[in-house]
Amino acid sequence: MSVAPLNTIADGYRRVASLGNPILDLSPITLLLSIILVIVVAVVGSGWVAPVVVSVVFVGIAYLAGRGTRYLINILKLWLVVGLLLFVLRALLVKGETVLIPLGPIAVTAEGVDEGLRFSTMVMAICGGVTLFFALVPMRHLTLALERLGVSPRASFVVLASFQSITDLGATARVVLDAQKARGIETEGNVFVRAKAFFPILAPVFLTALAATEERAIALDARAFNSRGPKTSLIQLRPTPAWEWIIVAVCALVAATAIYGGVVGWL
Amino acid sequence: MASSGKFASLMRSYGRLTIFLIPIGVAVNFVGGQIALLLKLPIYLDSIGTILVGAICGGLPGALVGLLSNAINSITSPPTFGFAILNIAFGLLAGYFGRLGFFRVWWKALLTSIPFAFIGGFFGALITIWIFGGLAVGGGAIVVGALTAMGMDLSTANFVAQIPMDILDKVPTVLIVYLIIKGIPKRLLVKLPLGWVYLGKPNPRAARPAEASAPIA
Repeated sequence: MSVAPLNTIADGYRRVASLGNPILDLSPITLLLSIILVIVVAVVGSGWVAPVVVSVVFVGIAYLAGRGTRYLINILKLWLVVGLLLFVLRALLVKGETVLIPLGPIAVTAEGVDEGLRFSTMVMAICGGVTLFFALVPMRHLTLALERLGVSPRASFVVLASFQSITDLGATARVVLDAQKARGIETEGNVFVRAKAFFPILAPVFLTALAATEERAIALDARAFNSRGPKTSLIQLRPTPAWEWIIVAVCALVAATAIYGGVVGWL
Repeated sequence: MASSGKFASLMRSYGRLTIFLIPIGVAVNFVGGQIALLLKLPIYLDSIGTILVGAICGGLPGALVGLLSNAINSITSPPTFGFAILNIAFGLLAGYFGRLGFFRVWWKALLTSIPFAFIGGFFGALITIWIFGGLAVGGGAIVVGALTAMGMDLSTANFVAQIPMDILDKVPTVLIVYLIIKGIPKRLLVKLPLGWVYLGKPNPRAARPAEASAPIA
């Protein structure tokens, strides 16, 4: 590699980390607070309008951040798999006076449909907020921001290493599966035959990972993982500008209004 | 956060290897679930890592594995987080049984599946009723729906559907945990916080309270 690209890579770490979009560059903490406050609006507003509006707002934010299409696909999957099921089951099973469609022993009632719409859209608005947060915030930025608030770097390590281990062990599992198939373990057939294949796949995956922890412990020790002094970090987070806190304040105001409105009764 | 310093020292008391085993436990939970799907098994097998880490490292690391697994799962499927408390309880309980040596003998390990299934089934059903009003998501919801349609009351239907499903899930889970622990080489067992249980040694901390610090990693 020539010197010029190396310099650009190094320069990337000399500046404050930026993902090149004002929404993606929001501080994880202010973004988290804002999303929670917006979810509060969806939860306290009665009926299904508030949660649906909130969900649409989340999709809008995702598009502004340039992650819209992927987010929309994920959230639509959730609506179809979770939301629809929640709605249908409630519509069918909640007992009510006004029968819309009688179906033998059960019936779709107006109360059931109302309750189903309300509950499923509310759960979906919460899901939308959670998935939006993780679609916008890289995990390392989140853990770094939490470290700045005083969370132990060990906690960051455990969280980040968990994500990495899921990928790594998943890859090992596929290798072991192929190896065991080559040695004649049956992965097809009836349930018992297939169940017998489970242990010979999982056990080597775990034991390999366990054996590797020793080396990892030594490697991290050599990098002063156990030192108690202050830690530096390769990534530099942008200092949170005041306007981000203004956004949080506005969201808090909206949430407070929604709670007040819910108590007084105009939502 | 004031608790982080305390937490860090508590974690340190478990020895250095534990902090590396927690991510592996989380990954085993996921990989176990994936293999079960791949082999088209009708059970989840997604708490092996929690119980395994609980059994060899202790209750708190096990509980952390459970909490983290559900937290990571809820990134893509947020309703999962409602059930995090179950996975935490699995970890704590596995630590307790591990300390008592239940995972040393296969039939004792098998016995632990009863409390695990009870927690998973009974309290799982309770959470479904409290948080989701009796109708949560997942394969069980359809069974519950069908039972209710047949005239069973919603709470009973939840218990009837969940407990047998959980026994089917936890019996293979604890057997796999037992077999995996049997497969851990002695030189690694020595370094694990609860390794002494499986080596048939007395508790090193109880024997020498003066050296109550962690086992050497």
